[in-house]
Amino acid sequence: MRKLFYSSLLIIASLNAIGQVERGSVLIKGGTILTITKGTQESTDLLIKDGKITQIGKNIPAPQGVKVIDATGMFVMPGIIDAHSHAGLDAINEATNPVTAEVFTGDAINPFQIGLYQALGGGVTTIHAMHGSANAIGGQCETLKLRYGVKDPDGLRMDGAPRTVKFALGENPTRVHGGANNILPRTRMGVEFVIREAFSKAKEYMEAWDRFNKSKTQKGFRGAPPTYDLRLETLADILRGEIIVHCHSYRADEIFMLLKVCQDFGIKKLVFQHVNEGFKVAPELAKFGAMASVFADWWAYKFEVYYSTAYNAAILTKNGVTTSINSDDGELMRHLYHEAAKTQKYGALSDDEALSLITLNPAKQLGIDSRVGSLEVGKEADVAIFKGHPLSAYAVPMITIVDGLVRFDREKDADDMRIYIDPNIALDATTAADTGGNDVENCLQGAEEAFNYMFDLN
Amino acid sequence: MCISTLGFAQDERKLGPVTRSYAITQATIVQGPGRKIEKGTVLIKDGLITAVGQNLTIPADAIQVKGDSLYVYAGFIDGLSRVAVTRPKEDLSKEKVKDPGNPAPERAGITPQNDVRNFLNPADKAVEELRALGFTTAHVVPHGGMLSGSGSVIFLGGSSADEMVVVSRSSLYSELTPAERVYPNTVLGVMAKWRELYRQASLTKSYESTYASNRIGIDRPATDRVLEAFYPVIDKKIPVLFRADKALDLQRVLTLQKDLAFSLIAVNLKEGWDAIPKIKSSGAKVFLSLELPEEKKEEKKDEKAPAESPFTDSLERKALEKRRADFVALHAGQASSFQKAGVAFGFTTLSAKTKDISSNLRRIIRAGLTEDQALAALTTSPASLLGLSDRLGSIDPGKVANLVISRKPYFDEKSKMQYVFVDGVMYRIESKEIEKPAEKKTDKP
Repeated sequence: MRKLFYSSLLIIASLNAIGQVERGSVLIKGGTILTITKGTQESTDLLIKDGKITQIGKNIPAPQGVKVIDATGMFVMPGIIDAHSHAGLDAINEATNPVTAEVFTGDAINPFQIGLYQALGGGVTTIHAMHGSANAIGGQCETLKLRYGVKDPDGLRMDGAPRTVKFALGENPTRVHGGANNILPRTRMGVEFVIREAFSKAKEYMEAWDRFNKSKTQKGFRGAPPTYDLRLETLADILRGEIIVHCHSYRADEIFMLLKVCQDFGIKKLVFQHVNEGFKVAPELAKFGAMASVFADWWAYKFEVYYSTAYNAAILTKNGVTTSINSDDGELMRHLYHEAAKTQKYGALSDDEALSLITLNPAKQLGIDSRVGSLEVGKEADVAIFKGHPLSAYAVPMITIVDGLVRFDREKDADDMRIYIDPNIALDATTAADTGGNDVENCLQGAEEAFNYMFDLN
Repeated sequence: MCISTLGFAQDERKLGPVTRSYAITQATIVQGPGRKIEKGTVLIKDGLITAVGQNLTIPADAIQVKGDSLYVYAGFIDGLSRVAVTRPKEDLSKEKVKDPGNPAPERAGITPQNDVRNFLNPADKAVEELRALGFTTAHVVPHGGMLSGSGSVIFLGGSSADEMVVVSRSSLYSELTPAERVYPNTVLGVMAKWRELYRQASLTKSYESTYASNRIGIDRPATDRVLEAFYPVIDKKIPVLFRADKALDLQRVLTLQKDLAFSLIAVNLKEGWDAIPKIKSSGAKVFLSLELPEEKKEEKKDEKAPAESPFTDSLERKALEKRRADFVALHAGQASSFQKAGVAFGFTTLSAKTKDISSNLRRIIRAGLTEDQALAALTTSPASLLGLSDRLGSIDPGKVANLVISRKPYFDEKSKMQYVFVDGVMYRIESKEIEKPAEKKTDKP
């Protein structure tokens, strides 16, 4: 018996080891397909082969050996994408320096977090696992597919997704660095200075390396290379347009400030996160081509977040800003469809507009919209199946599919979905349900130490 | 207490021993895994094994150890330990720093230039304790942070640091341990810093050789003790010995190895079973931890909770207990999983409690490893993984006289240690110590 157990374990492990993503085939029959890009199609089938959507239409016969899901009376939508999450990570904030572009959340992926499975239970299939907001320029972020069940962290990476980096304006970086450590930035002016200085240094660095690499090709050149600096390397990649900036921000003035900074340094790929006062600068954002990822109605948790409105997403959308609704939170992540629905009460967005906020638009913000975010032939088969329309108060996510594989099925939802067990922890009734989650201020997780330092509590 | 037969040589004037020749006679000799000689003799002279076999002539100058009913094995090799290693006098790890983003390397735990030989204390009590279990050799590393220094292979005997050392600077030791309150304060920072240092070192090293080939007319490279410590790693002269206790530590270490392509020995693995195929394709070597979770976790009694809580006997509790038991079994079966996959491995005592090591070895055997395989993991495999097969790992003529001598076979529950030879020096092990060893962790937190 034990032998059997080991050998099955090895098979699973070997699949992960070669970095191969497990893909499945399935036929979803008779559901109402919410394609997002091509309207709503009732009593329609959707065929998935080897992780890709291959056909959408009526009466598609099931290929031999392909599992069939009866979705009669149900709603089939693209898997939900959360453009702002900190799930699936063992570390979020390298809060010791105002600029830490060199660090990468992809180094701290934890595929065992039960919260990832719980997110699947809310129809989520892709998350943007971000660095926190302690630093003016935080770390690079990783786009993850919720292939919950894989044991190798590489198995969660969405290979080929563009690189992204976290920036942060306002109270968080000024509190952590100026307040706690008495270094730059202490004010919003300081935040701007830190970012401009970092980009200026990166520009010099980039030019120095370009000069060196050019000289190197000349015969007889024996000069010393510039000092390698991973932080400046990364910042230079931002200047080169290889990394999308995702900036934590609330106030209109600082949002406008970063637009100007990016203009000055020729940075075009820019997404603002939270953006509670985005509605005040919506035309400016649209003109720049910057995007916005917002909360539906979450505010007043600190001074800079008081001037807020539930109409934010709708105003931004109507002004032509590509807008998404995010969670930044393990609990909120499980009902993003409900968050999106709020824009119909506050702003009267259409079904497609509202659903785009949690599917196609976040996909655009992460640069993965050619692969996911809508139900179209050729796209990756990330699908959420709901009982009740996902924008109705009666919506219940039933089945969540990633790359054609059913990763969540409400009918077969086991009690204990943990992957790794720590035998050293004591058992109690809540063990299996432990989310390891946090209540507030996920963005600042890991930066508490700086506050303790400030108040000399330790 | 262990008594060296050379213990009298403590006077002002150091006297040589009367003889360094021994004969262990009429013993069951396990030369190596699967190589057993009944009623055989091992001859030792001047620290080396000179002959092994039956019907050997006992030299006149040899001290005879009557081996009837005794079992003789090659001395065990510990892949990672801090036995005999003292902490640096100054603890910088908590010092306040004005700018936490730019601490001095020492404050950030970046001291790869440190050499464990400078911290060796032959009189450390842990040396005796580990030796009493049969370990004669250990790969030891300095205390510290993410890059604490270079390790050495030492013998668990000898009266000075240099006397203990078998191979100096045998590895560059690293952990994913963040610095306290300064950069790198998280595993994110540690991974980034590691990549940066390695790439910087590659560049400075290459420029140094350009400079060395012709110094005329180009800038003199600055020396950098931190980066220079990476040079033998970049040249593949020594491996990085990287601590990887948990499954995800191991994955992260393998990521660094993949990015930078250094020779890797992943050490102190506790949850390595799922990464076996990845380890195989990476070419990394491994040492598994001898620490195991307790078989049955004692529950803390909650005084406030009613004695008959609905949870106590519930199906939920039983299911949770079963899953925990499954994972305890995976931990105990880790060595067996590596064995079945054909990956050679040794063991480490770093985080194991000394008093648990013998019983944990028996648990590992119960979980599927044969006694010969366990012996290999303690002797021939680590010798080969550390490149010491010509000197250590088996009882063969010409090899170093490191021997474990027990009453009853070593893995027998009732086995008692009788003598341990380290580098040809005999230590008598008092059985009391086996029954009631000190409850000391070899790796103090």
